[in-house]
Amino acid sequence: MKIMNCPLNGPRNISEFIHGGELKPMPNPTTCSDREWADYVFYSDNTAGVITEWWMHVASSYWFLAERHTVTDEILRTFDPQEIFQERIEFAVEEKRS
Amino acid sequence: MATLEDTLTTKRTPLYHLHQANQPNATGWQHLGGYAIKAGQDETQVEPTTVAPACGLTDLSALARVGLRGKKAATILSEKHYQLPAAPNQALRQEDGSLVAKLSASEYLLLGSFADDGERISRDELAWQAAERAHRLPDAYLLPRQDTHAWLALTGSHASDVMAKLCGVDLSPKAFAPGHVAQTSVARANAIIINASQADLSCLYLLVDSASACYFWPILLDAMQEFEGKELNIMALRHHHPA
Repeated sequence: MKIMNCPLNGPRNISEFIHGGELKPMPNPTTCSDREWADYVFYSDNTAGVITEWWMHVASSYWFLAERHTVTDEILRTFDPQEIFQERIEFAVEEKRS
Repeated sequence: MATLEDTLTTKRTPLYHLHQANQPNATGWQHLGGYAIKAGQDETQVEPTTVAPACGLTDLSALARVGLRGKKAATILSEKHYQLPAAPNQALRQEDGSLVAKLSASEYLLLGSFADDGERISRDELAWQAAERAHRLPDAYLLPRQDTHAWLALTGSHASDVMAKLCGVDLSPKAFAPGHVAQTSVARANAIIINASQADLSCLYLLVDSASACYFWPILLDAMQEFEGKELNIMALRHHHPA
């Protein structure tokens, strides 16, 4: 069994994790085009090389980031998202029409 | 002792129907924290030594449990005089016998005490629910755990041997000391495992999804067979958790 190192829980079987897609900067949802938003939500760059991507440890519902080489499938580093995300992102709520 | 009919108006643990199906003729049901629990041996007849060396499985789901998460969670708990574990995946026994487990940097799980049948936790949960409704719980989210998770206790010196058959994480006493927490896969389903051993009794708490409780119960009993493990009544375990 392949082992992944969870920043919160330590080394665990890869079957305890799910993949959450590539880490990409989020475009401003209120001003970006549909194409840009679709690119962010659905499309993958499919880079051959080292990429940073989201993973979740299912048993603890803990999301973190991993650097992985997509050619060798080697996981180089896993780390807490707080290294990148310091602030909670709030989304503007559209008011309901009466 | 109440009859089965009396229990119909009381709350049921996720294992209620399983217990009922396994012992259709059982007439004795007890009440604990508003829950109907299967009556075991008379409390007074169970010597503490009959629990300790064997391998036992107990349903503790009748006791209170709740979670709290968020930036202010630690402050809110401290205000209620809970002692908090220093690091994630650690648990700390409180003076009153309840247990606080830290599941991540800002998430806590509170498990009720035998001493007061979990009343302190239930009371605090009600207070937090009221505060949340009044928007007086900023930067903290109450996580209801009473109905989402079943709470099982695996006791006795073979507890870690039983888990070794079901779980990839090393839960032997050397690697997994009292106060350690592991959130991992057990028998291919998710579980939070807490080493809640006391001086005289090895004890692993398992918190599993309430919907998978009836899956875990027979699996654990099956894994316990080679160690002559058996199902224990909650009252038998109570002896080992003095206030």
